[in-house]
Amino acid sequence: MFELDAYYQPESLAVALELLAKSDGKLRPLAGGTDLVPALAKRKIHCPGLIDLSAVSELRAIIAREHEIQIGSMSTFAQIEEFLVIRNRFPLLSEAAASVGSPQIRNTGTIGGNIANASPAADMVTALIALEAEVRLDSSEGFRTVPLQNILEGAGKTHIRPQEIITNILIRPLAPGSRSGYIKLGRRRALAIARLNLAVILAVHENKISLARVALGAVGPNPCRSSALETTLEGQQISSTLVDTFASEAEKEVVRMLGSRPSVSYKQEAVKGIARELLPRLFSSTEGVVA
Amino acid sequence: MLEGGVVGQSVQRVDGLVKVTGESYFAADEKVPAALVLKVLRSRVAHAVVKRIDISEAEKIPGVVRVFTYADIPGENSYGIMVKDQPVLTDKIRFIGDAIALVVAENPDAARKGAEAVKVETEELPPLYDVWSAMAEGAPPIHDKGNILTVGRVKKGDAAAALSRADVVISRLYRTQRVEHLYLETEAGIAYPEHNGLTIKVSTQNPHYDRRDVARVLGLPMNRVRIIQTPTGGGFGGKLDISVQCFLALAAWKLRRPVRMLYDREESFIATAKRHPFIIDYTSGANREGQLLAVKVRIIGDTGAYASYGPATLIRAAVHATGPYEVPSVDIEGLCVYTNNPFSGAMRGFGTPQMAFAFESQMDLLAQALQISPLEIRRRNILRPGSATATGQVLSDSVGIAKTLAAAWEKACQVMPGLGGENQ
Amino acid sequence: MDRFPLHMKVNGTQMTVDVDPGMRLLDVLRDVLGLTGTKEGCGEGECGVCSVILDGKIVDSCLVLAPQVQGREIITIEGVARNGELDILQEAFLEAGAVQCGFCTPGMILAGKALLDKNSHPDRREIARAISGNLCRCTGYAKIVKAVELAAARRSGKEGATGA
Repeated sequence: MFELDAYYQPESLAVALELLAKSDGKLRPLAGGTDLVPALAKRKIHCPGLIDLSAVSELRAIIAREHEIQIGSMSTFAQIEEFLVIRNRFPLLSEAAASVGSPQIRNTGTIGGNIANASPAADMVTALIALEAEVRLDSSEGFRTVPLQNILEGAGKTHIRPQEIITNILIRPLAPGSRSGYIKLGRRRALAIARLNLAVILAVHENKISLARVALGAVGPNPCRSSALETTLEGQQISSTLVDTFASEAEKEVVRMLGSRPSVSYKQEAVKGIARELLPRLFSSTEGVVA
Repeated sequence: MLEGGVVGQSVQRVDGLVKVTGESYFAADEKVPAALVLKVLRSRVAHAVVKRIDISEAEKIPGVVRVFTYADIPGENSYGIMVKDQPVLTDKIRFIGDAIALVVAENPDAARKGAEAVKVETEELPPLYDVWSAMAEGAPPIHDKGNILTVGRVKKGDAAAALSRADVVISRLYRTQRVEHLYLETEAGIAYPEHNGLTIKVSTQNPHYDRRDVARVLGLPMNRVRIIQTPTGGGFGGKLDISVQCFLALAAWKLRRPVRMLYDREESFIATAKRHPFIIDYTSGANREGQLLAVKVRIIGDTGAYASYGPATLIRAAVHATGPYEVPSVDIEGLCVYTNNPFSGAMRGFGTPQMAFAFESQMDLLAQALQISPLEIRRRNILRPGSATATGQVLSDSVGIAKTLAAAWEKACQVMPGLGGENQ
Repeated sequence: MDRFPLHMKVNGTQMTVDVDPGMRLLDVLRDVLGLTGTKEGCGEGECGVCSVILDGKIVDSCLVLAPQVQGREIITIEGVARNGELDILQEAFLEAGAVQCGFCTPGMILAGKALLDKNSHPDRREIARAISGNLCRCTGYAKIVKAVELAAARRSGKEGATGA
């Protein structure tokens, strides 16, 4: 148990935003709570008050439209993992959701919380960055829609304003025939924070890669795209040689991103391993192909 | 077999039923009306002398009932399974986490605030974080008798001469790490005065030793202390030591009130025993046929701030230094050394898993040097009926390792299709 | 700070409890309702001994703030047996020898139950994944997986009348 001066459980977004606007930065939104609750209970952080978003049902919807998919910020990892349209159209996103924590964490933690927490190793964020996802931020004044990578400002830091709440995550569909996949390296299979993660999206025509998007996580303050790795793939014929080239370029990229950090000698090796696991999967089979 | 007997039968464990229904009362589940709660103030430095403890502010906090320090111990302020070297509340700090003051309060919140309000003045000493600096000439003694607690030796034959005759000699230095037991149930217990004595219900593996140490600390005869072991949610050796027992005893006895105490995971990590980190200097010699002739081994175990089961762990390590292999000549030394690290004690295997890492690595290196398979070098050296161990015990009856090795090889061939042929 | 009137259904009973909003669900279950079958092992979602079923899904009660379960339904280990009769899963844990120190057992049984309630024919991989948020430091995983398999088989009546 920990001390709170104020606790609100609004039932609509409008009320939540109004409370936040009036709170003068003293209230903090509570999403799933899997990071915030233990941090508060162990007194690692203190916040005077919470706005619990668990009763705001409008933040829980996942809506698939022709031109975009809209994921409510309070959608849990389990909901995202199991949502059929996401499985079919954005396999990397359901793979990323499935790789989070444990069944317990996936049933509680939310996509909005994962973004706002801004962990360098956030599983969902790497996949969302590759998908060029946008984030809708609402306040009592209005809303803005921002590319996800533009709101990440470093480890644990974002450009989200104190009166704003992440309400939705927006993703444009991939071209039919695109392939996508996500892979994570943790110290063990469950309940491990990613030591590395990698998300890849490819458009392949007659065995030639016409478009590639590559994002890497846990190699810097926030997950980010790698244009060097995208260039390595684009315009190339898919082959086992390309896997090797990609793996060695990934090693260089990790060394560049991590600089002199002590984890570099481990991660520069490890990234080759996850690249060699993910790429052939995308090259060879129909797995991960957008219907 | 006797009618109705249990040997060879599958039987349900006696405490199974209450464990699947959630009824089993672990120590933290005990319902004790009006129990006071305890919180320990622990040191944040590794090596220091306590100059002054000011409890006056802490005792003013609403809900705080009493704050105890080393000055309040009625009996001997020391306990320990093998060596009585660990104080309940200390005036000399030997590791980060040493207990300095015990706060008794009406609720956990007051207990925590009370512990934060205790002021401690210390004079820091140079901390010794590794065995080399602890053993160095002129190192500040962590305990009065110096930093090398025990030296155990196992000698058989003339190892030096045998090594000089060997066709191949392999020398390596091995290091193993500190390991926390991480039983899922953290340390917990309750205590209450009863009749003219004291009863403690506690998560423990060692109720009889607990009783002896609690009586010693309280200055009571043993027949006035009763320890009841609650269902223990994992121990793995880590609950052989005293954890909450003496704190509970001190508070319940002095205040004549029921008390309870529960470590959170962090405190359980900080304050309890670990597996000994070993430094193992291992030399093995064999002849051209791959037969072991001699080993010379020096093991240094970091027992941290307190002995716990350290001396026994290092003896066991020395005795098992040759593993399941027959070695005619051995020269083995096991040193148990104090440092300012968390204390090390018993943990599954008691020093032998650390040794297995070293002696099995040595066997692989010998095989490599002699260009025979890792399996073959083991076959040529394993203990068999009639073999003598490092301590000279002749194994007259059955020895399981040959069968185990054969079964392991058979399984390996099943699950790893590439194996076989050249390795046979 | 005002207390929060928490309405919830626990093990089939509708109830209202006034809680401090800074309490975790785990604190309410153990300290307010006295349901001590739910354990605390780490307080940060690593070990799973505080697992409960919330609206049919397994969650760590140490990561859930009590007011977050407003209007929802919770099943703890105390609610698994009905009228003194063990659930098939509890029986299977006993028979398969899946209980050792017993501290992980409540959470393991609930994780198994959450799985079987959704998927009556899980394979080994699915069982392993379903209990991947629950540690057993006695390392009895093989027997725990076996117990869930046994319970699944019995639930679907594969075993017939003769039992094991």
